[in-house]
Amino acid sequence: MEDIEDFGVWLGRQLRRNGISQAELAQELKLTRAAVSAWVTGRARPRAEVLAKIAKILETDVATLITRDSDAGSDRPIDWYHRAAHQDGGREYGNAAVFAFDANLAVLAREVTQNSLDERLDPERPVRVRFTLHELTGEHLHSFLSALKWDQLEPHYAAAAQSRHKVGRALAEGLRALRDDSSLLLLRVDDYNASGLTGPEYGDGRYAAVVRRQLDSHKSNDRAGGSYGLGKATLWAASRLGLVLINSTLSEAYEGRTVRRVVGRLDLPWREVDGVAYAGPAWLGEPDTAREREGVSRSWWADERVVADLRLDRDSDDPGTSFLVVGAHDAAGVNNTLEDLHAALGRALSDNFWAAMTSGRTTPAMLEASVRALRNGEFVVPEQRVDPLGRHPALVHALRAFLDGDTVEELTDSGQVAARDVAFAVPPLRAAGRGAEGHDHRAVLLVTPAADKDEKHSRIICMRGTRMSVTARSPRSLGAGVDPFQAVLLAGFATGDDSSATHAAEAFLRAAEPPEHDRWGTTEELTAAYANAPRRLTEFNAAMDAALRGVVGRRAVGQDSTGPEILRKLLRIDAPAAASNRRGLGHPLVDRVVGKVDGDGAWTLDVTLSVPHRDGRWELLPVVKFDVRSGGRPSLEWAELSPKENCQVVDGRLLIDPDVRSARFGGVTAVRSHPVAAAMAGVIVDIQQAREISA
Amino acid sequence: MSTVYAYPTLAGKIEITVRGASMDGKPLQLSLISQRDQVVALHQIERDDWIEGVLDLEVSLPSDELDEGPWSGVSCVAVLTEGATNTRVVSRLERRRGDTHWRGEVRVRRSMHAARALLDVSVVGSHGGVDGRVIGRTDTSWVVDLLARTPTRQRDLEILEKDFRDGPEEGLRRFADAPWLIDTTGDLPAVLINTSFEGLPELLSGARGPLEKATAGMVAAQIAGEAWATMFHAALSDLEFDEDGTPRFPGGWRESVLRSILPEVFPGLPLPEALAEAHSCRGDGRGWAEIQARIHYAAGKRGQVPKNLTATIRAVQRAQEGPRR
Repeated sequence: MEDIEDFGVWLGRQLRRNGISQAELAQELKLTRAAVSAWVTGRARPRAEVLAKIAKILETDVATLITRDSDAGSDRPIDWYHRAAHQDGGREYGNAAVFAFDANLAVLAREVTQNSLDERLDPERPVRVRFTLHELTGEHLHSFLSALKWDQLEPHYAAAAQSRHKVGRALAEGLRALRDDSSLLLLRVDDYNASGLTGPEYGDGRYAAVVRRQLDSHKSNDRAGGSYGLGKATLWAASRLGLVLINSTLSEAYEGRTVRRVVGRLDLPWREVDGVAYAGPAWLGEPDTAREREGVSRSWWADERVVADLRLDRDSDDPGTSFLVVGAHDAAGVNNTLEDLHAALGRALSDNFWAAMTSGRTTPAMLEASVRALRNGEFVVPEQRVDPLGRHPALVHALRAFLDGDTVEELTDSGQVAARDVAFAVPPLRAAGRGAEGHDHRAVLLVTPAADKDEKHSRIICMRGTRMSVTARSPRSLGAGVDPFQAVLLAGFATGDDSSATHAAEAFLRAAEPPEHDRWGTTEELTAAYANAPRRLTEFNAAMDAALRGVVGRRAVGQDSTGPEILRKLLRIDAPAAASNRRGLGHPLVDRVVGKVDGDGAWTLDVTLSVPHRDGRWELLPVVKFDVRSGGRPSLEWAELSPKENCQVVDGRLLIDPDVRSARFGGVTAVRSHPVAAAMAGVIVDIQQAREISA
Repeated sequence: MSTVYAYPTLAGKIEITVRGASMDGKPLQLSLISQRDQVVALHQIERDDWIEGVLDLEVSLPSDELDEGPWSGVSCVAVLTEGATNTRVVSRLERRRGDTHWRGEVRVRRSMHAARALLDVSVVGSHGGVDGRVIGRTDTSWVVDLLARTPTRQRDLEILEKDFRDGPEEGLRRFADAPWLIDTTGDLPAVLINTSFEGLPELLSGARGPLEKATAGMVAAQIAGEAWATMFHAALSDLEFDEDGTPRFPGGWRESVLRSILPEVFPGLPLPEALAEAHSCRGDGRGWAEIQARIHYAAGKRGQVPKNLTATIRAVQRAQEGPRR
């Protein structure tokens, strides 16, 4: 059956490509139009001798009709189609969705990878995402531009870059870089085990949502992270030339085919070229032959050579999509070399998706990500798998323990992970009417001591859906003196639960996110859909804090030893006295002592002093003692004291002039004063101010 | 003041992490261990009759320095000491092949300690034919607190409310008329507030209205001033000395009290010399009477007596002027 359907779809496309209507074909074959219609709609299949006739009409052979692995007849020319200006004279100088984000590569990595995660096909396998930075120069650049039909685009770029609007200026800069540096940076994002861009050319579907429409989220299930349809705009925002090429392997056949659905989309502002005004976007593809869409470029099923020329070739037939951002740049501006950009992408993937990349003993990871960098086809940085443990060891450890069921109720060892339930009362939808019941969702809080290297800690990382980190909250009222910890809150589907309460919580939290998906707060959508939403969010936060306090918080000090605060505050023993510290600086101090035991068993010491300023001369008494573990330290006698820098020695005293800041003297201990052999003890040197009375 | 040895010692840092603890086999909550303050509160409210606690240690040493250094037969030990009971327990730590850290257990016997034990790690090795050289030691000791319920380094004195007249403690009966007492005989100094002194506990913890609050502040300042003076004397009378008679700072609360009061008593003298001076005056009586006034002044200042007295006088004045207006 399927085979017959495939044939119908294929035949329909060949007729359209060749501009032949079903009626015309029927006439040529001397059959009824109904017969042809039955083939095209998959209800019947032509007999073998008719196949040969059809092959002749389509200018191909019978084998092609049977294998249907390519289109019949000559390739139609692949061209750029530019949308004509609006008839009402309206002009758009850019795509608003593009401005919703900071156009840096970290944001792109976050948004695009989240979209890939949302489109994961086989839930038993991770979706594989690979970022490739590819710098082209010289012949490589030249051949790429010619595959892109750059000569067709150039006049449009030239016109658009003259615009004084924001987009025009950015384009001018991108063109200047291409012209002056003769180099072009391509950023390719491939995903595998994802849905691919399925669906018809113009109607509803994943393909149209990405290629044809703005702000169409087209999320296929209620587990998705995104919801605004903004994420894809980051691809175009990352291109200085507003140009993205796409090659998709589909998970569901369209027109009977799945492999190498290719299209390009260019976002330019309004422009006039050769006296004709154009609205903005342009598409690279095959001209449509349908009468109402004459000339519009649509996606085509490319052959392997074309995708290779366009740098769009994919590793395997595993479904998914490759996006090629032409003229990629990092608007953050700090990353310039390929190595820097490679590292920045790795960091962004690790920071945003460590949770999705974490696997348990029996639970596969949701995501596998890697980054590589090339210059003219040669590796600059080879493909590196992003390891979530690298930057977030404690967080990954916590999540892994949860996936493996190794969590504990209370922390008693620093390697442990505590899990606590956090109750979340999801209010009913307003639409459900009066008397509708809410849901009791049980979110999970994981807590573990922070790892030594963790730069950020003592926050609650909140996630939902495909373990997408939404926000990092600083917990309130935790009390002082808590050791650094890492905490992860899993809400909604991130808990791994699939009950109706979980669905309700997921929907509520998604509605609570602004377009950036970076916090849970009151949004218009939330208050419109739910009663009492802000209060429920506040309660949720309080429940998180309480659960955290139960794990890391310290018990309150017993009532019996605190006493009245009014008295307690006057009796803080360890609090440093306000005025005393400064006075300590007013005296000479031993800065450094170097010494060794000489052949006679005496200590030879070299002592450096730091001396503060005062008006009078310092008279100091150097003292040397053996250091012991406990009890009184035995004093030693000096056999010899000698001045070395900035001091004099008179009668065993050091004399230091007022304007001296640093002084040095040497000393040798008297062996007969040693209670034990010199080599068996450590010595310390101290100085006292010589007292007038001690003479 | 650092010690110089006759052999090379480690310059790198030695760090101890207490990864976990248990009491009589029952694991302790991690919140009773503070890695930041380096304190373990080996105490559980539910039980006071435990016998042995076990700390699970992980120690990192400057391994490159050790590998390249001139020492041989290097080993690493944890040393648990408590001055009050003169206890010193050494536990050997071990390093497994391929592990970067040294690990081991430290046993804390309840019967061998009074209140606070210090935990250090020493690295021992041979150099120049002499075995057992200590070639490195932790900079900051861990504190194992057997009395505290929270792992904090800072220790405040205890303020206890007791019934002097009818309470269980016989020793307090003879002070039945006293509003409060300062007790420095225990491990920590304590202020005992007499609950049978009518109205005193209520005044201190629940004063209402400006006049009552000012009075409570005045009483608190009075108690604090006395406490500081008593603690200073107690600390000064409990010193240890080097062989040449130089007094050493005693550690614990005594050291904190001395360090905070001495600069007020002997302004202009470095702390060690101020301590020596105070001790010698106390011993031979020379100038001791004159110094009493200075101690009293310093203790009163620490207890904020002048500030509170001023506040009280103003409050009383205002109360008296009030009705006349």
